[in-house]
Amino acid sequence: MKRKYEIVYIFDSALEEPEVNERLDRFHDLLKSPDQAEPITGIAHWGKRTLAYPINGKEIGYYVVAHFEAETELLREFERIIKLDETVLRYLVVINEGLSVTRPDQLDPTRESEENVVDDIDGIVITELPVAEALPVSEEDDEAPISKDGGSE
Amino acid sequence: MSRPSKTCPVCESGNRIVDYKDERTLSRYITERGKILPSRLSGMCARHQRQLTRAIKRARHLALLPFIKGHGR
Repeated sequence: MKRKYEIVYIFDSALEEPEVNERLDRFHDLLKSPDQAEPITGIAHWGKRTLAYPINGKEIGYYVVAHFEAETELLREFERIIKLDETVLRYLVVINEGLSVTRPDQLDPTRESEENVVDDIDGIVITELPVAEALPVSEEDDEAPISKDGGSE
Repeated sequence: MSRPSKTCPVCESGNRIVDYKDERTLSRYITERGKILPSRLSGMCARHQRQLTRAIKRARHLALLPFIKGHGR
């Protein structure tokens, strides 16, 4: 049976983009079948990201998300080959439930950098209260007694 | 005494599905140690709480979210 899937790969960050692409091509060739010449329907490179926890001693991974449509039976061999590749730290194949766009969760570069900082300290992002209230205008205490009563010597 | 009515944040946002890749949103529904918030606190309807739970577990597998926050780092 043919189904739509989504796969997320985490490659070793030591790989450069051409090497990643070479591997992706190799994996995706396995999904090809006579009636499905081009199984990939979408692909997005998230690039290097800090992992939330180290995997195999690595702190950084290269993320790639791909959507594809393939026969269910092809998946077993496909996953077996991915598992054999040591440069793939993790992968996840799920049925594509209509999250059609492979988007790196709407992240713009600015947000990501800021996010990494916040996440590492403590993720109290919930309590984003508007702290910035107008500072209470300090009453000028110009009546500061600088009374200079010229003391007679 | 009735509980204050809570509305499901996912239903309200108009999304039907909780995306496991959107760790920014998911991180709002975990405790500061990385546990999943109960629906009592997250305010999610039952369907979306189930989706949320699964999404967080997937995100953890992909190292988008930590299993335990503040552990080792």
